[in-house]
Amino acid sequence: MATSMSVRPRMMIVQADQPTLSAFFDAWPLFADAVWAAVWMGGTLGLLGIYVIARRLVFLSAALSQAASLGVATSFFVAGTLGVSGALAAPTLWSLLATGLVVLFFARPDRKHTSTDDETLGIIYLIGIAGTLALGTRIVADLADIQTLLFGTAVAVVPDDLAAIQWTCAGVVAVHLVLWRGFSAVSLDPIGATVRQLPTHLLNLLLLASLALVVSVCTRILGALPAFAFSVLPALVALQWSRNIAQGLWIAAGVGAVCGFVGYLAAFLWALPVGASQALVGVVLLMLSVLGRTVGTRVGLGGR
Amino acid sequence: MADPSTSNPHQAGDGSPASDHPTEPTRHSEHHARQIAGIHNVEVGYDGRAILPPISVCMHAGELWALVGRNGAGKSTFMRTLLGLQDRMGGQIQLDEGVRVAYVAQRSEFEGRVPARVWDFVAGGLDVGWSFAVPWLSGSQRRKIAQAMADVRVEDLASRQMSTLSYGQRQRVHIARALATEPLLLVLDEPTSAMDPIAERAMFELLRNLARNRGISIMLSSHQMSFLPEHADHALLIDRDLAIATGGRLRDVFGSAAFRRVYGDIHVGAPTDDDCAS
Repeated sequence: MATSMSVRPRMMIVQADQPTLSAFFDAWPLFADAVWAAVWMGGTLGLLGIYVIARRLVFLSAALSQAASLGVATSFFVAGTLGVSGALAAPTLWSLLATGLVVLFFARPDRKHTSTDDETLGIIYLIGIAGTLALGTRIVADLADIQTLLFGTAVAVVPDDLAAIQWTCAGVVAVHLVLWRGFSAVSLDPIGATVRQLPTHLLNLLLLASLALVVSVCTRILGALPAFAFSVLPALVALQWSRNIAQGLWIAAGVGAVCGFVGYLAAFLWALPVGASQALVGVVLLMLSVLGRTVGTRVGLGGR
Repeated sequence: MADPSTSNPHQAGDGSPASDHPTEPTRHSEHHARQIAGIHNVEVGYDGRAILPPISVCMHAGELWALVGRNGAGKSTFMRTLLGLQDRMGGQIQLDEGVRVAYVAQRSEFEGRVPARVWDFVAGGLDVGWSFAVPWLSGSQRRKIAQAMADVRVEDLASRQMSTLSYGQRQRVHIARALATEPLLLVLDEPTSAMDPIAERAMFELLRNLARNRGISIMLSSHQMSFLPEHADHALLIDRDLAIATGGRLRDVFGSAAFRRVYGDIHVGAPTDDDCAS
Protein backbone atom coordinates (compact mmCIF):
# COMPACT_ATOMS: atom_id res chain seq x y z
CA MET A 1 0.00 0.00 0.00
CA ALA A 2 2.81 2.32 0.79
CA THR A 3 4.16 1.86 -2.68
CA SER A 4 1.01 3.22 -4.21
CA MET A 5 1.82 6.47 -2.48
CA SER A 6 5.49 6.41 -3.21
CA VAL A 7 5.04 6.25 -6.96
CA ARG A 8 2.96 9.39 -6.89
CA PRO A 9 5.10 12.39 -7.85
CA ARG A 10 5.13 15.06 -5.18
CA MET A 11 6.56 17.97 -7.11
CA MET A 12 5.20 19.48 -10.25
CA ILE A 13 7.22 18.17 -13.19
CA VAL A 14 7.87 21.03 -15.55
CA GLN A 15 8.98 19.73 -18.88
CA ALA A 16 9.05 22.99 -20.73
CA ASP A 17 11.83 25.51 -20.29
CA GLN A 18 9.31 28.06 -19.09
CA PRO A 19 6.17 26.89 -17.30
CA THR A 20 3.54 28.63 -19.39
CA LEU A 21 -0.16 28.20 -19.97
CA SER A 22 0.47 26.65 -23.35
CA ALA A 23 2.97 24.25 -21.80
CA PHE A 24 0.35 23.28 -19.26
CA PHE A 25 -2.28 22.53 -21.88
CA ASP A 26 0.26 20.83 -24.12
CA ALA A 27 0.86 18.43 -21.25
CA TRP A 28 -2.87 18.18 -20.47
CA PRO A 29 -3.06 14.36 -20.81
CA LEU A 30 -0.51 14.14 -18.02
CA PHE A 31 -2.42 16.43 -15.68
CA ALA A 32 -6.01 15.84 -16.74
CA ASP A 33 -6.95 13.21 -14.18
CA ALA A 34 -5.46 15.19 -11.30
CA VAL A 35 -7.14 18.40 -12.43
CA TRP A 36 -10.50 16.71 -12.80
CA ALA A 37 -10.09 15.13 -9.39
CA ALA A 38 -9.43 18.55 -7.88
CA VAL A 39 -12.39 20.07 -9.71
CA TRP A 40 -14.77 17.34 -8.54
CA MET A 41 -13.49 17.53 -4.99
CA GLY A 42 -13.44 21.31 -4.90
CA GLY A 43 -16.97 21.51 -6.23
CA THR A 44 -18.42 18.91 -3.90
CA LEU A 45 -16.63 20.06 -0.78
CA GLY A 46 -17.46 23.65 -1.71
CA LEU A 47 -21.14 22.75 -1.71
CA LEU A 48 -20.87 20.90 1.59
CA GLY A 49 -18.89 23.82 2.97
CA ILE A 50 -22.03 25.97 3.10
CA TYR A 51 -23.32 23.68 5.84
CA VAL A 52 -19.89 23.62 7.48
CA ILE A 53 -19.97 27.40 7.77
CA ALA A 54 -23.67 27.67 8.58
CA ARG A 55 -23.37 25.16 11.42
CA ARG A 56 -20.06 26.55 12.64
CA LEU A 57 -18.41 23.22 11.92
CA VAL A 58 -15.12 24.54 10.61
CA PHE A 59 -13.26 22.77 13.37
CA LEU A 60 -15.15 19.57 12.60
CA SER A 61 -14.03 19.76 8.99
CA ALA A 62 -10.42 20.26 10.11
CA ALA A 63 -10.70 17.39 12.57
CA LEU A 64 -12.25 15.13 9.92
CA SER A 65 -9.44 15.78 7.47
CA GLN A 66 -6.83 14.98 10.10
CA ALA A 67 -8.73 11.90 11.24
CA ALA A 68 -8.81 10.77 7.63
CA SER A 69 -5.05 11.33 7.44
CA LEU A 70 -4.54 9.17 10.47
CA GLY A 71 -6.76 6.51 8.92
CA VAL A 72 -4.71 6.48 5.73
CA ALA A 73 -1.44 6.45 7.66
CA THR A 74 -2.77 3.56 9.73
CA SER A 75 -3.53 1.62 6.56
CA PHE A 76 0.07 2.11 5.42
CA PHE A 77 1.26 1.01 8.81
CA VAL A 78 -0.80 -2.18 8.94
CA ALA A 79 0.17 -2.99 5.37
CA GLY A 80 3.86 -2.19 5.54
CA THR A 81 4.74 -3.03 9.12
CA LEU A 82 2.18 -5.61 10.16
CA GLY A 83 1.99 -7.27 6.77
CA VAL A 84 -1.78 -7.04 6.41
CA SER A 85 -2.91 -7.06 2.80
CA GLY A 86 -6.02 -6.86 0.68
CA ALA A 87 -9.18 -4.98 1.58
CA LEU A 88 -8.22 -4.83 5.24
CA ALA A 89 -5.32 -2.58 4.35
CA ALA A 90 -7.22 -0.30 1.99
CA PRO A 91 -6.51 3.36 2.83
CA THR A 92 -10.08 4.41 2.05
CA LEU A 93 -11.44 1.82 4.47
CA TRP A 94 -9.28 3.14 7.29
CA SER A 95 -9.93 6.80 6.54
CA LEU A 96 -13.67 6.12 6.42
CA LEU A 97 -13.43 4.24 9.68
CA ALA A 98 -11.65 7.14 11.36
CA THR A 99 -13.99 9.84 10.04
CA GLY A 100 -17.00 7.61 10.63
CA LEU A 101 -16.19 7.39 14.32
CA VAL A 102 -15.96 11.17 14.53
CA VAL A 103 -19.29 11.58 12.72
CA LEU A 104 -21.03 9.03 14.93
CA PHE A 105 -19.84 10.94 17.97
CA PHE A 106 -21.12 14.28 16.73
CA ALA A 107 -24.35 13.01 15.17
CA ARG A 108 -25.50 10.86 18.05
CA PRO A 109 -29.14 11.51 18.90
CA ASP A 110 -28.59 12.49 22.53
CA ARG A 111 -25.89 15.00 21.71
CA LYS A 112 -26.41 18.57 22.80
CA HIS A 113 -24.40 21.50 21.53
CA THR A 114 -21.99 22.29 24.30
CA SER A 115 -18.96 24.43 24.83
CA THR A 116 -16.86 21.28 25.06
CA ASP A 117 -17.32 20.63 21.32
CA ASP A 118 -14.38 22.84 20.46
CA GLU A 119 -12.14 21.09 22.94
CA THR A 120 -13.19 17.66 21.66
CA LEU A 121 -12.56 18.69 18.07
CA GLY A 122 -9.19 20.12 19.04
CA ILE A 123 -8.24 16.82 20.63
CA ILE A 124 -9.38 14.88 17.55
CA TYR A 125 -7.39 17.23 15.34
CA LEU A 126 -4.25 16.81 17.43
CA ILE A 127 -4.61 13.04 17.62
CA GLY A 128 -5.02 13.00 13.85
CA ILE A 129 -2.00 15.09 12.95
CA ALA A 130 0.30 13.81 15.70
CA GLY A 131 -0.73 10.21 15.07
CA THR A 132 -0.15 10.60 11.35
CA LEU A 133 3.31 12.01 11.84
CA ALA A 134 4.17 9.42 14.49
CA LEU A 135 2.98 6.54 12.33
CA GLY A 136 4.88 8.09 9.42
CA THR A 137 8.15 7.22 11.10
CA ARG A 138 7.09 3.58 11.24
CA ILE A 139 5.96 3.30 7.66
CA VAL A 140 8.23 1.61 5.18
CA ALA A 141 7.85 4.40 2.67
CA ASP A 142 9.64 7.64 3.43
CA LEU A 143 8.19 10.47 5.47
CA ALA A 144 7.61 12.52 2.35
CA ASP A 145 4.59 10.31 1.62
CA ILE A 146 3.07 11.51 4.85
CA GLN A 147 3.70 15.08 3.77
CA THR A 148 1.88 14.24 0.58
CA LEU A 149 -0.98 13.00 2.68
CA LEU A 150 -1.07 15.98 5.01
CA PHE A 151 -0.37 18.84 2.68
CA GLY A 152 -1.65 17.55 -0.63
CA THR A 153 1.57 17.67 -2.60
CA ALA A 154 0.47 14.88 -4.91
CA VAL A 155 0.57 15.88 -8.54
CA ALA A 156 -0.79 12.83 -10.34
CA VAL A 157 -3.99 10.90 -9.79
CA VAL A 158 -4.38 7.39 -11.08
CA PRO A 159 -7.52 6.60 -13.13
CA ASP A 160 -8.98 4.37 -10.41
CA ASP A 161 -8.72 7.20 -7.93
CA LEU A 162 -10.40 9.60 -10.32
CA ALA A 163 -13.22 7.12 -10.81
CA ALA A 164 -13.60 6.78 -7.04
CA ILE A 165 -13.77 10.55 -6.71
CA GLN A 166 -16.32 10.90 -9.50
CA TRP A 167 -18.63 8.24 -8.13
CA THR A 168 -18.36 9.55 -4.59
CA CYS A 169 -18.93 13.16 -5.58
CA ALA A 170 -21.76 12.37 -7.98
CA GLY A 171 -23.54 10.33 -5.32
CA VAL A 172 -23.14 12.95 -2.64
CA VAL A 173 -24.21 15.80 -4.91
CA ALA A 174 -27.28 13.81 -6.00
CA VAL A 175 -28.30 13.24 -2.38
CA HIS A 176 -27.79 16.91 -1.63
CA LEU A 177 -29.77 18.02 -4.66
CA VAL A 178 -32.76 16.07 -3.41
CA LEU A 179 -32.48 16.73 0.31
CA TRP A 180 -31.08 20.27 0.41
CA ARG A 181 -34.20 21.66 2.06
CA GLY A 182 -33.99 19.11 4.83
CA PHE A 183 -30.27 19.69 5.31
CA SER A 184 -30.87 23.43 5.40
CA ALA A 185 -33.62 23.06 7.96
CA VAL A 186 -31.58 20.98 10.41
CA SER A 187 -28.52 23.15 9.88
CA LEU A 188 -30.10 26.56 10.27
CA ASP A 189 -33.10 25.95 12.49
CA PRO A 190 -32.61 22.66 14.37
CA ILE A 191 -35.25 23.42 17.01
CA GLY A 192 -37.83 24.46 14.46
CA ALA A 193 -37.08 21.36 12.41
CA THR A 194 -37.61 19.15 15.46
CA VAL A 195 -40.91 20.87 16.27
CA ARG A 196 -42.03 20.36 12.67
CA GLN A 197 -41.19 16.68 13.01
CA LEU A 198 -38.51 16.50 10.37
CA PRO A 199 -36.26 13.43 10.82
CA THR A 200 -33.53 15.60 12.28
CA HIS A 201 -31.27 12.83 13.57
CA LEU A 202 -31.31 11.03 10.23
CA LEU A 203 -30.67 14.23 8.31
CA ASN A 204 -27.84 15.22 10.62
CA LEU A 205 -26.28 11.79 10.30
CA LEU A 206 -26.63 11.83 6.52
CA LEU A 207 -25.19 15.31 6.20
CA LEU A 208 -22.19 14.64 8.42
CA ALA A 209 -21.65 11.22 6.86
CA SER A 210 -21.58 12.74 3.39
CA LEU A 211 -19.05 15.30 4.60
CA ALA A 212 -16.95 12.57 6.19
CA LEU A 213 -17.11 10.45 3.04
CA VAL A 214 -15.94 13.22 0.73
CA VAL A 215 -13.29 14.41 3.16
CA SER A 216 -12.01 10.84 3.53
CA VAL A 217 -11.72 10.26 -0.21
CA CYS A 218 -10.26 13.73 -0.81
CA THR A 219 -7.70 13.31 1.95
CA ARG A 220 -6.68 9.91 0.70
CA ILE A 221 -6.22 11.08 -2.88
CA LEU A 222 -5.42 14.80 -2.70
CA GLY A 223 -4.36 15.38 0.90
CA ALA A 224 -5.72 16.82 4.14
CA LEU A 225 -4.87 20.44 3.41
CA PRO A 226 -6.91 20.77 0.21
CA ALA A 227 -9.73 18.76 1.79
CA PHE A 228 -9.97 21.25 4.63
CA ALA A 229 -9.47 24.27 2.37
CA PHE A 230 -12.17 23.14 -0.09
CA SER A 231 -14.65 22.63 2.72
CA VAL A 232 -14.25 26.14 4.14
CA LEU A 233 -12.96 28.76 1.70
CA PRO A 234 -15.36 28.41 -1.28
CA ALA A 235 -18.34 28.62 1.05
CA LEU A 236 -16.99 31.77 2.65
CA VAL A 237 -16.61 33.30 -0.80
CA ALA A 238 -20.10 32.20 -1.85
CA LEU A 239 -21.75 33.64 1.24
CA GLN A 240 -20.38 37.05 0.29
CA TRP A 241 -22.37 37.04 -2.92
CA SER A 242 -25.41 34.81 -2.53
CA ARG A 243 -28.92 35.97 -1.72
CA ASN A 244 -29.98 32.73 -0.07
CA ILE A 245 -28.71 29.30 0.79
CA ALA A 246 -29.71 27.73 -2.53
CA GLN A 247 -27.66 30.28 -4.42
CA GLY A 248 -24.88 29.86 -1.90
CA LEU A 249 -24.69 26.11 -2.55
CA TRP A 250 -24.27 26.60 -6.30
CA ILE A 251 -21.81 29.46 -6.03
CA ALA A 252 -19.73 27.58 -3.45
CA ALA A 253 -19.62 24.52 -5.68
CA GLY A 254 -18.46 26.67 -8.59
CA VAL A 255 -15.84 28.48 -6.52
CA GLY A 256 -14.60 25.16 -5.15
CA ALA A 257 -14.18 23.79 -8.67
CA VAL A 258 -12.33 26.97 -9.66
CA CYS A 259 -10.03 26.62 -6.64
CA GLY A 260 -9.27 23.05 -7.66
CA PHE A 261 -8.43 23.96 -11.24
CA VAL A 262 -6.70 27.30 -10.77
CA GLY A 263 -4.81 25.96 -7.77
CA TYR A 264 -3.42 23.16 -9.88
CA LEU A 265 -2.57 25.55 -12.69
CA ALA A 266 -0.86 27.95 -10.31
CA ALA A 267 1.12 25.06 -8.86
CA PHE A 268 2.33 24.29 -12.38
CA LEU A 269 3.16 27.86 -13.29
CA TRP A 270 5.03 28.70 -10.08
CA ALA A 271 6.25 25.26 -9.01
CA LEU A 272 4.16 25.24 -5.82
CA PRO A 273 2.88 22.30 -3.81
CA VAL A 274 -0.55 21.57 -5.28
CA GLY A 275 -2.54 21.46 -2.01
CA ALA A 276 -1.03 24.69 -0.76
CA SER A 277 -1.64 26.34 -4.10
CA GLN A 278 -5.32 25.31 -4.10
CA ALA A 279 -5.76 26.63 -0.56
CA LEU A 280 -4.04 29.90 -1.45
CA VAL A 281 -6.27 30.40 -4.48
CA GLY A 282 -9.24 30.05 -2.13
CA VAL A 283 -7.75 32.60 0.23
CA VAL A 284 -7.11 35.05 -2.61
CA LEU A 285 -10.68 34.65 -3.89
CA LEU A 286 -11.99 35.22 -0.38
CA MET A 287 -9.91 38.37 0.06
CA LEU A 288 -11.06 39.68 -3.30
CA SER A 289 -14.67 38.91 -2.37
CA VAL A 290 -14.46 40.71 0.93
CA LEU A 291 -12.78 43.65 -0.76
CA GLY A 292 -15.35 43.68 -3.52
CA ARG A 293 -18.23 43.56 -1.06
CA THR A 294 -16.75 46.30 1.06
CA VAL A 295 -16.11 48.60 -1.88
CA GLY A 296 -19.47 47.69 -3.42
CA THR A 297 -21.29 48.52 -0.22
CA ARG A 298 -19.54 51.87 0.07
CA VAL A 299 -20.46 52.89 -3.45
CA GLY A 300 -23.97 51.58 -3.09
CA LEU A 301 -23.64 48.44 -5.17
CA GLY A 302 -23.25 45.96 -2.37
CA GLY A 303 -26.88 44.99 -1.88
CA ARG A 304 -27.69 41.34 -2.44
CA MET B 1 -63.50 15.47 27.12
CA ALA B 2 -63.91 17.89 29.97
CA ASP B 3 -62.39 21.28 29.44
CA PRO B 4 -59.88 21.78 32.24
CA SER B 5 -59.62 25.44 31.48
CA THR B 6 -63.23 25.90 32.46
CA SER B 7 -64.45 22.94 34.44
CA ASN B 8 -61.44 22.03 36.52
CA PRO B 9 -60.76 23.96 39.66
CA HIS B 10 -57.14 24.56 38.54
CA GLN B 11 -55.52 23.97 41.80
CA ALA B 12 -52.40 25.96 42.40
CA GLY B 13 -49.41 24.06 43.62
CA ASP B 14 -50.20 25.09 47.17
CA GLY B 15 -53.72 23.80 46.82
CA SER B 16 -55.41 27.17 46.59
CA PRO B 17 -57.87 27.72 43.77
CA ALA B 18 -56.63 29.63 40.77
CA SER B 19 -59.42 32.14 40.97
CA ASP B 20 -60.92 34.00 43.86
CA HIS B 21 -64.16 34.08 41.92
CA PRO B 22 -66.37 31.29 40.64
CA THR B 23 -65.10 30.13 37.28
CA GLU B 24 -67.30 31.29 34.40
CA PRO B 25 -67.67 29.48 31.12
CA THR B 26 -65.36 30.92 28.49
CA ARG B 27 -66.42 32.38 25.19
CA HIS B 28 -65.00 29.36 23.39
CA SER B 29 -66.75 26.76 25.44
CA GLU B 30 -69.95 28.67 24.80
CA HIS B 31 -69.33 28.46 21.10
CA HIS B 32 -67.95 24.93 21.21
CA ALA B 33 -64.63 25.98 19.70
CA ARG B 34 -62.42 23.15 18.55
CA GLN B 35 -60.08 21.83 21.18
CA ILE B 36 -56.51 22.10 19.92
CA ALA B 37 -54.49 20.72 22.81
CA GLY B 38 -55.33 19.00 26.04
CA ILE B 39 -52.62 19.12 28.67
CA HIS B 40 -53.45 16.67 31.43
CA ASN B 41 -51.45 16.57 34.65
CA VAL B 42 -48.27 17.16 32.75
CA GLU B 43 -45.17 17.25 34.89
CA VAL B 44 -42.15 19.02 33.50
CA GLY B 45 -38.57 18.90 34.64
CA TYR B 46 -35.24 17.36 33.92
CA ASP B 47 -32.88 14.73 35.25
CA GLY B 48 -35.94 12.69 36.20
CA ARG B 49 -37.22 15.34 38.59
CA ALA B 50 -40.36 17.43 38.14
CA ILE B 51 -39.85 21.11 38.86
CA LEU B 52 -43.49 22.18 38.82
CA PRO B 53 -46.79 20.80 40.08
CA PRO B 54 -48.80 18.91 37.45
CA ILE B 55 -50.23 21.25 34.80
CA SER B 56 -53.68 20.80 33.31
CA VAL B 57 -55.07 23.18 30.75
CA CYS B 58 -57.13 22.86 27.62
CA MET B 59 -56.43 25.10 24.64
CA HIS B 60 -59.07 25.87 22.03
CA ALA B 61 -59.07 27.43 18.60
CA GLY B 62 -58.97 31.20 18.72
CA GLU B 63 -57.54 31.44 22.22
CA LEU B 64 -54.50 33.51 23.09
CA TRP B 65 -52.74 32.11 26.13
CA ALA B 66 -50.20 34.03 28.17
CA LEU B 67 -47.55 31.96 29.88
CA VAL B 68 -46.40 34.07 32.80
CA GLY B 69 -44.01 33.67 35.66
CA ARG B 70 -40.81 35.16 36.96
CA ASN B 71 -37.43 34.55 35.36
CA GLY B 72 -36.38 31.00 36.11
CA ALA B 73 -39.95 30.00 36.93
CA GLY B 74 -39.89 27.08 34.49
CA LYS B 75 -41.58 28.72 31.49
CA SER B 76 -38.95 27.58 29.02
CA THR B 77 -38.99 24.05 30.43
CA PHE B 78 -42.75 23.93 30.03
CA MET B 79 -42.57 25.30 26.49
CA ARG B 80 -39.88 22.82 25.51
CA THR B 81 -42.02 20.01 26.90
CA LEU B 82 -45.12 21.25 25.10
CA LEU B 83 -43.14 21.40 21.85
CA GLY B 84 -41.82 17.88 22.30
CA LEU B 85 -38.24 19.08 22.63
CA GLN B 86 -37.81 17.36 25.97
CA ASP B 87 -39.49 14.47 27.71
CA ARG B 88 -42.23 15.10 30.22
CA MET B 89 -42.03 13.54 33.66
CA GLY B 90 -45.66 12.50 33.64
CA GLY B 91 -49.12 13.26 32.35
CA GLN B 92 -50.40 13.56 28.80
CA ILE B 93 -50.37 16.11 26.03
CA GLN B 94 -53.15 15.38 23.58
CA LEU B 95 -53.16 17.24 20.29
CA ASP B 96 -56.32 17.06 18.26
CA GLU B 97 -56.05 15.11 15.03
CA GLY B 98 -54.18 16.98 12.32
CA VAL B 99 -52.93 19.68 14.67
CA ARG B 100 -49.58 21.08 13.63
CA VAL B 101 -47.40 22.88 16.11
CA ALA B 102 -45.12 25.79 15.25
CA TYR B 103 -42.64 27.66 17.35
CA VAL B 104 -41.14 31.13 17.30
CA ALA B 105 -37.99 31.31 19.37
CA GLN B 106 -36.90 34.42 21.21
CA ARG B 107 -33.69 34.49 19.23
CA SER B 108 -33.09 32.78 15.94
CA GLU B 109 -29.96 30.74 15.40
CA PHE B 110 -30.49 31.25 11.68
CA GLU B 111 -29.87 34.92 11.26
CA GLY B 112 -26.46 36.26 10.45
CA ARG B 113 -24.81 33.05 9.36
CA VAL B 114 -26.37 32.59 5.95
CA PRO B 115 -27.93 35.28 3.76
CA ALA B 116 -31.66 34.97 3.33
CA ARG B 117 -34.33 37.13 1.81
CA VAL B 118 -37.58 37.39 3.72
CA TRP B 119 -39.31 35.12 1.23
CA ASP B 120 -36.58 32.48 1.59
CA PHE B 121 -36.74 32.72 5.35
CA VAL B 122 -40.49 32.14 5.41
CA ALA B 123 -40.16 29.31 2.88
CA GLY B 124 -37.58 27.69 5.16
CA GLY B 125 -40.27 27.06 7.75
CA LEU B 126 -42.61 25.34 5.35
CA ASP B 127 -41.59 21.71 5.62
CA VAL B 128 -43.28 19.26 7.94
CA GLY B 129 -42.25 15.64 8.31
CA TRP B 130 -40.73 14.41 5.05
CA SER B 131 -42.10 17.13 2.75
CA PHE B 132 -38.54 18.42 2.23
CA ALA B 133 -37.79 15.36 0.10
CA VAL B 134 -39.25 17.20 -2.90
CA PRO B 135 -36.54 19.75 -3.66
CA TRP B 136 -38.79 22.37 -5.25
CA LEU B 137 -41.87 24.24 -4.02
CA SER B 138 -45.29 23.45 -5.41
CA GLY B 139 -47.84 26.09 -6.32
CA SER B 140 -49.87 25.41 -3.18
CA GLN B 141 -46.77 25.73 -1.04
CA ARG B 142 -45.98 29.08 -2.63
CA ARG B 143 -49.53 30.21 -1.90
CA LYS B 144 -49.13 29.19 1.75
CA ILE B 145 -45.97 31.27 1.97
CA ALA B 146 -47.68 34.25 0.36
CA GLN B 147 -50.68 33.89 2.68
CA ALA B 148 -48.49 33.68 5.77
CA MET B 149 -46.62 36.80 4.71
CA ALA B 150 -49.86 38.62 3.99
CA ASP B 151 -51.33 37.65 7.37
CA VAL B 152 -48.47 39.34 9.20
CA ARG B 153 -48.18 42.15 6.65
CA VAL B 154 -44.64 41.53 5.44
CA GLU B 155 -45.37 40.97 1.75
CA ASP B 156 -43.66 44.24 0.89
CA LEU B 157 -40.47 42.97 2.50
CA ALA B 158 -40.30 39.78 0.43
CA SER B 159 -37.08 40.59 -1.40
CA ARG B 160 -35.33 42.28 1.51
CA GLN B 161 -32.46 40.56 3.27
CA MET B 162 -33.29 39.49 6.82
CA SER B 163 -30.22 41.30 8.07
CA THR B 164 -31.63 44.66 6.92
CA LEU B 165 -34.89 44.43 8.91
CA SER B 166 -35.76 46.11 12.18
CA TYR B 167 -36.39 43.91 15.21
CA GLY B 168 -40.15 44.33 14.92
CA GLN B 169 -40.11 43.44 11.24
CA ARG B 170 -37.94 40.40 11.92
CA GLN B 171 -40.34 39.15 14.57
CA ARG B 172 -43.23 39.44 12.15
CA VAL B 173 -41.24 37.49 9.57
CA HIS B 174 -40.51 34.82 12.16
CA ILE B 175 -44.23 34.52 12.81
CA ALA B 176 -44.90 34.28 9.07
CA ARG B 177 -42.33 31.48 8.89
CA ALA B 178 -44.15 29.67 11.67
CA LEU B 179 -47.51 30.22 9.94
CA ALA B 180 -46.23 28.76 6.67
CA THR B 181 -46.93 25.27 7.99
CA GLU B 182 -50.53 26.29 8.74
CA PRO B 183 -50.24 25.36 12.40
CA LEU B 184 -53.16 25.18 14.78
CA LEU B 185 -50.98 25.63 17.83
CA LEU B 186 -48.43 28.44 17.77
CA VAL B 187 -45.96 28.81 20.62
CA LEU B 188 -43.89 31.98 20.99
CA ASP B 189 -41.09 32.67 23.44
CA GLU B 190 -41.25 36.30 24.56
CA PRO B 191 -42.01 37.68 21.10
CA THR B 192 -41.95 41.32 22.23
CA SER B 193 -39.00 41.25 24.60
CA ALA B 194 -36.94 43.86 22.76
CA MET B 195 -39.72 46.04 21.34
CA ASP B 196 -40.78 49.56 22.16
CA PRO B 197 -44.34 49.91 23.51
CA ILE B 198 -45.82 50.87 20.16
CA ALA B 199 -44.33 47.90 18.34
CA GLU B 200 -45.27 45.75 21.29
CA ARG B 201 -48.90 46.77 21.12
CA ALA B 202 -48.93 46.15 17.37
CA MET B 203 -47.46 42.69 17.91
CA PHE B 204 -50.08 41.74 20.49
CA GLU B 205 -52.84 43.01 18.22
CA LEU B 206 -51.38 40.99 15.37
CA LEU B 207 -51.30 37.83 17.46
CA ARG B 208 -54.82 38.45 18.73
CA ASN B 209 -56.07 38.80 15.17
CA LEU B 210 -54.16 35.73 14.00
CA ALA B 211 -55.75 33.64 16.71
CA ARG B 212 -59.21 34.84 15.74
CA ASN B 213 -58.89 34.94 11.99
CA ARG B 214 -56.90 31.75 11.51
CA GLY B 215 -58.70 29.91 14.30
CA ILE B 216 -55.45 28.87 15.92
CA SER B 217 -54.48 28.60 19.53
CA ILE B 218 -51.52 30.72 20.56
CA MET B 219 -49.40 30.44 23.67
CA LEU B 220 -46.79 33.09 24.30
CA SER B 221 -44.52 33.64 27.23
CA SER B 222 -44.31 37.25 28.27
CA HIS B 223 -43.45 39.59 31.09
CA GLN B 224 -45.49 42.44 29.62
CA MET B 225 -48.26 42.60 32.18
CA SER B 226 -49.54 45.89 30.84
CA PHE B 227 -50.58 44.41 27.49
CA LEU B 228 -51.62 40.91 28.41
CA PRO B 229 -55.04 41.65 29.97
CA GLU B 230 -56.00 43.61 26.88
CA HIS B 231 -55.04 40.97 24.36
CA ALA B 232 -54.79 37.52 25.98
CA ASP B 233 -57.86 35.68 27.14
CA HIS B 234 -56.23 32.84 29.06
CA ALA B 235 -53.16 32.55 31.20
CA LEU B 236 -50.92 29.90 32.67
CA LEU B 237 -49.00 31.03 35.72
CA ILE B 238 -46.05 28.94 36.86
CA ASP B 239 -43.45 29.34 39.55
CA ARG B 240 -41.10 26.54 40.49
CA ASP B 241 -39.93 28.15 43.73
CA LEU B 242 -43.49 28.60 45.01
CA ALA B 243 -44.66 25.32 43.44
CA ILE B 244 -47.39 27.07 41.48
CA ALA B 245 -48.90 25.96 38.20
CA THR B 246 -52.32 27.34 37.54
CA GLY B 247 -54.15 28.10 34.34
CA GLY B 248 -57.50 29.28 33.08
CA ARG B 249 -59.19 32.45 32.04
CA LEU B 250 -56.78 35.33 32.32
CA ARG B 251 -58.85 37.46 34.65
CA ASP B 252 -59.27 34.50 36.99
CA VAL B 253 -55.57 33.69 37.02
CA PHE B 254 -54.51 37.32 37.36
CA GLY B 255 -56.99 37.81 40.16
CA SER B 256 -55.95 34.70 42.04
CA ALA B 257 -54.14 34.36 45.33
CA ALA B 258 -51.43 32.44 43.49
CA PHE B 259 -50.82 35.42 41.21
CA ARG B 260 -50.53 37.74 44.20
CA ARG B 261 -48.06 35.35 45.81
CA VAL B 262 -45.86 35.50 42.75
CA TYR B 263 -46.18 39.14 41.76
CA GLY B 264 -47.38 40.87 44.94
CA ASP B 265 -49.13 44.15 44.22
CA ILE B 266 -47.70 44.63 40.76
CA HIS B 267 -49.95 46.72 38.53
CA VAL B 268 -51.60 44.70 35.81
CA GLY B 269 -53.17 46.20 32.71
CA ALA B 270 -53.15 49.60 31.11
CA PRO B 271 -53.70 52.60 33.40
CA THR B 272 -57.27 53.77 33.69
CA ASP B 273 -58.72 57.18 34.44
CA ASP B 274 -59.14 56.08 38.05
CA ASP B 275 -55.47 55.23 38.26
CA CYS B 276 -54.56 58.67 36.98
CA ALA B 277 -56.96 60.38 39.33
CA SER B 278 -55.56 58.56 42.33
